Amino acid sequence: MFDLKNPSRRKFLTMAGTAAGASLLGNTGLVVPSAYGAGALGAVKEEDAVIAFGHVGPISDEGWTSTHHDGLVAVKAAFPKAKYLEIETIPYSADATRTFRQFVAENATLIFSSSEYGDLLAEVSNRAPKVAFMECNGHRVADNFSWYYVKHWMPTYVIGVAAGLMSKTGKLGYVASFPVPSVFTSVNAFQMGAKSVNPKATTQVISINSWFDPQGASQAGTALLDNGADFLFGIMDEAAYLQVAEKRGIPAAMWNTDVRRYGPKSYVTSCVVDWRKFYVEQTRKRLAGTWTGNEQILLPLGEGVDRDAWGESVPENVRQTADAVRTKMLKDGFNPFAGEIKDSAGKVKIAAGEKMDDMALYNWNWAVEGVTGLAT
Amino acid sequence: MAFRLQRLPSVRPEIAVAAHAVAIGLAFVVGGIAVTISGHNAFTLAAKVLTASFGSEFGLEDFGLLFGPLMLTGLAAAVTLRIGLWNIGAEGQFYIGAVFATGVGLFFSGPPWLMLTAMFLAGGIGGALWILVPTLARAYANVNEIITTLLLNFVAVLVVNYLSTGLWRDRKQSVLGATARIPYEVPNLSGSLHAGILVAVAAVVLMALLIRYTRWGYEVRISGANIFAAHYAGIPVRSRLISVMLISGAIAGIAGMLEVAGTVHRLQGGISNNFGYLGIIVAVLAGGSPIGVVFSGFVMAVILNAGIILQAQGILLNDVLAMTGLILFFTAIGEQVAHYRIVATHVVAQEA
Repeated sequence: MFDLKNPSRRKFLTMAGTAAGASLLGNTGLVVPSAYGAGALGAVKEEDAVIAFGHVGPISDEGWTSTHHDGLVAVKAAFPKAKYLEIETIPYSADATRTFRQFVAENATLIFSSSEYGDLLAEVSNRAPKVAFMECNGHRVADNFSWYYVKHWMPTYVIGVAAGLMSKTGKLGYVASFPVPSVFTSVNAFQMGAKSVNPKATTQVISINSWFDPQGASQAGTALLDNGADFLFGIMDEAAYLQVAEKRGIPAAMWNTDVRRYGPKSYVTSCVVDWRKFYVEQTRKRLAGTWTGNEQILLPLGEGVDRDAWGESVPENVRQTADAVRTKMLKDGFNPFAGEIKDSAGKVKIAAGEKMDDMALYNWNWAVEGVTGLAT
Repeated sequence: MAFRLQRLPSVRPEIAVAAHAVAIGLAFVVGGIAVTISGHNAFTLAAKVLTASFGSEFGLEDFGLLFGPLMLTGLAAAVTLRIGLWNIGAEGQFYIGAVFATGVGLFFSGPPWLMLTAMFLAGGIGGALWILVPTLARAYANVNEIITTLLLNFVAVLVVNYLSTGLWRDRKQSVLGATARIPYEVPNLSGSLHAGILVAVAAVVLMALLIRYTRWGYEVRISGANIFAAHYAGIPVRSRLISVMLISGAIAGIAGMLEVAGTVHRLQGGISNNFGYLGIIVAVLAGGSPIGVVFSGFVMAVILNAGIILQAQGILLNDVLAMTGLILFFTAIGEQVAHYRIVATHVVAQEA
């Protein structure tokens, strides 16, 4: 580790900041490449630390944003003397830049962004080289910037297996947000899991252009069921389509949290996420001065992401078959994303014998055979 | 002796300005009381907002980045008010201006000054095209422009979503559909504050001069004040109406171009930040005066910037939005109140 009192290191940080500013002024639009490798930002006393959380949705969504808020609560319990800042429902506009800049102005030492704000966040972090940034589902790193996410495709494949077994028609419905990698990966993992046990399985996707739009999600769920789907899955921040499924007596799997109370009969399981341990760990590192940028962190199955306890109406044989796949993943490192995989146009994209690695899965941007409604 | 209220047909400018100032003041008082009831010290928060907005480089930049687009969308709504029309569609024109500018920036290349000029013109043309149908419908079929311009906002959002999550999508972003980064950027004045704010000021001054000192402006004002008198005087009202609405659309479109080329750099849903709708409030606060837009845009930018600062202090976004609503509410009342004056009446005793 670097001696943090070493003036040359300090000088470097100042220079990096100037370079970042210069690059913005020069309108290159490029991220400043880091001259150094990973470097720590220096220890912070707990009472001096300011930990900031910027959320994409309301913390009362009982889904995505509430899982991150739970993370904040856990960090607060572990480090009660630090100061905490939290802003919810940050739009994907220049307001995001203003919001994160406000965190910097409030002397934040570590900033978690629970969604990808891309350039809007980079604009802030490039000019705040002494502040640590962590972007959930991000795609860039820097000396003061790391991203993190979960390997949601693993539990999603397991959920797909259950869906394939529970669907009579093989027609599965998926409520999506945008045609972006997290959605492609989720839809594909779901479809591949289902197809592994049900050769007729197909997945119809409807995108509603939002991560939090309960009304839009309900409408999409209804449309999918009207079109013949007899199993619903999706990637919404909240649980609206579960209520649609419950009313129609169709099984549905969810994301983020255990929301079975909104549809106890329909609830199959959920791709549950839990950031508490991870956030506490990152905050501890930041306080100790061992936090580093340039990290790309994917939390594995069982450590931050998993399937939830099965719902009451899931038959025993379905639980066993799906859980056998999960156990194989955990014990034997089973990777179901192996060739041959064709895209939705029938073209072979992953040849037989090839396997998709984590980064390929994280950045997946085409739909597999059997998926309709997701623009490739 | 008794008093009664007398309604005046027109309001003296100094009374109108005073009414607006009092309305904004009252809204702050009510907001302050609400904040105090919720357990915060209103004065500490107000001081915090002012020091954070104007006492730091970041704060000033953020303020400027709000002020510029608010002046432009406010101006877009204000110019149509001069001829007695409501452009509720600045939001949509903003988006389509951004779409046109993005299209030029992504699919053509050339020296930056040329490309930025082309994007600027494309933004203006896009905004004007988006208001063209409501304009013609208003001019030739007398279709209410409030409804048509408003409804086209929703169509514009869908166009942006279609392009940014479909045709023009950048495959590297993960959470939201967005286009690739546009390689041409409006030059920065300081930090993140780009030159768009100068364009906004220039547009305000230009429109103010046009309306005040040209024959065109005179005819627009007469048409707005009394359309029958304008007809009688031989003013080509229809042609003035068309030009005003197209200019309004173009101004909003240019705001969209500046936001995408100066601030966000990618076309994606949500970039308008509701500037189009906020512009209506700005224009109403300004009483339709282009120069007034500078002052009301300033107030609105302070409030929006305060919103972010206050959220970091644990005050909810909705409370801040309620504040903008309060200001509009009090202004609407103030505007009516300004029309009245109290006159003393002498009661003449009836003779038996």
